[in-house]
Amino acid sequence: MSTYGAPHSAAASVSGDGSRPSPSTTMPLLEVRDLWVRFRQGDRQVWAVNGLSYELFGGQTLAIIGESGSGKTVSSRALMGLLPETATVTGSARFDGEELLGLSDQEMRQHRGADLAMVFQDPTRSLNPTMRVGNQITEAIRTHLPLDRRAARERAIELLRLVRLPSPRQRFFEYPHQLSGGMRQRVMIAIALAADPKLLIADEATSSLDVTTQAQIMELLLDLQGQLGMALIMISHDLGLAASFADEVIVMYAGRAVERASTHQLFAHVRMPYTEALLEAIPRIERPSHSPLPVTPGRPPDLTTLPVGCPFEPRCSRARDTCRETSPPFEEQEPGHWWACWYPCDDGGSG
Amino acid sequence: MSTSTPALGADRRVSHGLARALRSPSLRLIGRRLAAAIPVLWGVTLLTFLVLNIMPGSAAQQLLGADATPEQVRQLEAELNLDQPAWVRYWEWLQGVVTGDLGNSIASGQPVTTIIGQRLPVSVELVLCAIIVSLAFTVPLALMAARRPNGIVDRLSMVLSMTGLSIANYVFALVLVVVFAVIFPVLPAIGFVPLSDGLLGNLRSLILPAIAIGFPLFCFYTRFLRGDLVEQMRGEDYVVTAKAKGVGPWRVLIRHAFRNSLFGLLTIVGLNLGTLIGATVIIEQIFALPGIGQELLQAINNRDAVVVQAIVLLLAVVVVVANLITDLLYAVLDPRIRYGQRSA
Repeated sequence: MSTYGAPHSAAASVSGDGSRPSPSTTMPLLEVRDLWVRFRQGDRQVWAVNGLSYELFGGQTLAIIGESGSGKTVSSRALMGLLPETATVTGSARFDGEELLGLSDQEMRQHRGADLAMVFQDPTRSLNPTMRVGNQITEAIRTHLPLDRRAARERAIELLRLVRLPSPRQRFFEYPHQLSGGMRQRVMIAIALAADPKLLIADEATSSLDVTTQAQIMELLLDLQGQLGMALIMISHDLGLAASFADEVIVMYAGRAVERASTHQLFAHVRMPYTEALLEAIPRIERPSHSPLPVTPGRPPDLTTLPVGCPFEPRCSRARDTCRETSPPFEEQEPGHWWACWYPCDDGGSG
Repeated sequence: MSTSTPALGADRRVSHGLARALRSPSLRLIGRRLAAAIPVLWGVTLLTFLVLNIMPGSAAQQLLGADATPEQVRQLEAELNLDQPAWVRYWEWLQGVVTGDLGNSIASGQPVTTIIGQRLPVSVELVLCAIIVSLAFTVPLALMAARRPNGIVDRLSMVLSMTGLSIANYVFALVLVVVFAVIFPVLPAIGFVPLSDGLLGNLRSLILPAIAIGFPLFCFYTRFLRGDLVEQMRGEDYVVTAKAKGVGPWRVLIRHAFRNSLFGLLTIVGLNLGTLIGATVIIEQIFALPGIGQELLQAINNRDAVVVQAIVLLLAVVVVVANLITDLLYAVLDPRIRYGQRSA
């Protein structure tokens, strides 16, 4: 860690013993309140995120789980200011006490990559194929830190070492296509860590990798999180991944949170039928072989119209008339356990 | 993994390198492309010869003028070997070409190679100036247009491009002459000042023709580059990565999107070289530039088959080689091709 010296290096020296700041006393690092995102699509509106709220404390890992189109990626890109111009974002997102939504692009750029960083799903497409990986890292470093070329290069090599890329000094000069998928994702992580972010958003960061690499990258992310004291938001469709790595889980459906609890509590008592359906859909070794995988019937909802009732109602086995008529509120119904359901599962002790 | 001694290793590396170079995809590509060019070039010469034979009038008639008696014409044709059957003349000419002899001009008796040697530098300079003019305006305008799609610059560039693409270059050339040589007499309307008589005069004589040729190309390149840049900025994940780093919009556009758009632009420029050379024929005529194009038109008027054949063949070779160079440049510039696909 000697040359890992840079203005923000205080964070880097936090030893990773996994001690978390206690949520009750400190201010949350990130506080999202009533976040709405809608897209213009011709003359229609797509309601991508509908009133999402959560908070995240420094050093914590939050998993946001949902299927494609549930709003998990859109909501996190909204925080980074990375949505296309067709998006309208309302609500509030306070990061370290400062409101992020409504910042000009220029103001947002000060935070992007410096305070909040993001690792994307497909490292092959996310790296510029015509630039040496080293230069892609130093670009991120020099955007935020006042380092000269040489110092930036040393720091980049240090970062490559930190993400455990073998022979970093040599890899610095290689192009993305010369690296494997897992190595590329390590480079992406190095880019994200360039300016010691306080929050790292991993958007399906392991989904495009094979299972072995997936576990390695996930472990790397958690190690780094402990080592550097960052908060981590894991966006995934994989509830199993959340179960193994996250402190807290938010399950999203149709652009809203439908269940939220600490990982332990959630898997001990699943309340929302959708979460249960997701859990059921995870292949298990205990099941008799050749038994069909339980699949949630129906399709994800059409987001061009907001439903009156519960958005999961058409696919829900527990749905009754109430569900069709009124949307259930998302409330803390048990201490530390939020859900939005009129007829929750009594004891979903499936985990 | 091998544990050979360093010296032996180095030796082996050299021979290995040579073997690899011979097997290298780019060398094989060059070989294949050159082999494929031979029938193309042969076809071009055959076609030119046929067209020249169909054309009414003969070189002898042109040389002697309208007053010549049929007797005189026949006599001159015999002297010039024009009384032989067409296929015999073609065969003789082709034999000459293959051995590097392009023959002598029917009209002037000068060796064709000498004529080309005098004329070619002018055309090469014109073509280079036209490419430089077109790209010098394309790159900044396309970048500005792509920075804000549908913004004011984008809309203006769209109007400009559409105008340029729908106007014929010889019409545009005359407009240029009227504006810059007649209304505001700042540039010469016609004539050529060789480079040896001073750079300034040389460039002044080339500005208008270069713009006349370069403008439609500029319009085309701008539409292409702007479209490609916008597509990259909207669709490519590495653009999102760059933005997520906090990199400013201009820098994202230039360092990331433009860098990747360059390959496409290069291809388009290479493929358009044929069009560009075609344009020089007419533009050289308008501006009285003593280039290859002017010579070609003169030779056609004189029914000087030997010169026409040689020039058409030369232009065909240039186009073929330019396309090949484009492909090779692509391989040189794109690291994915340069290093070959390898995944660890």
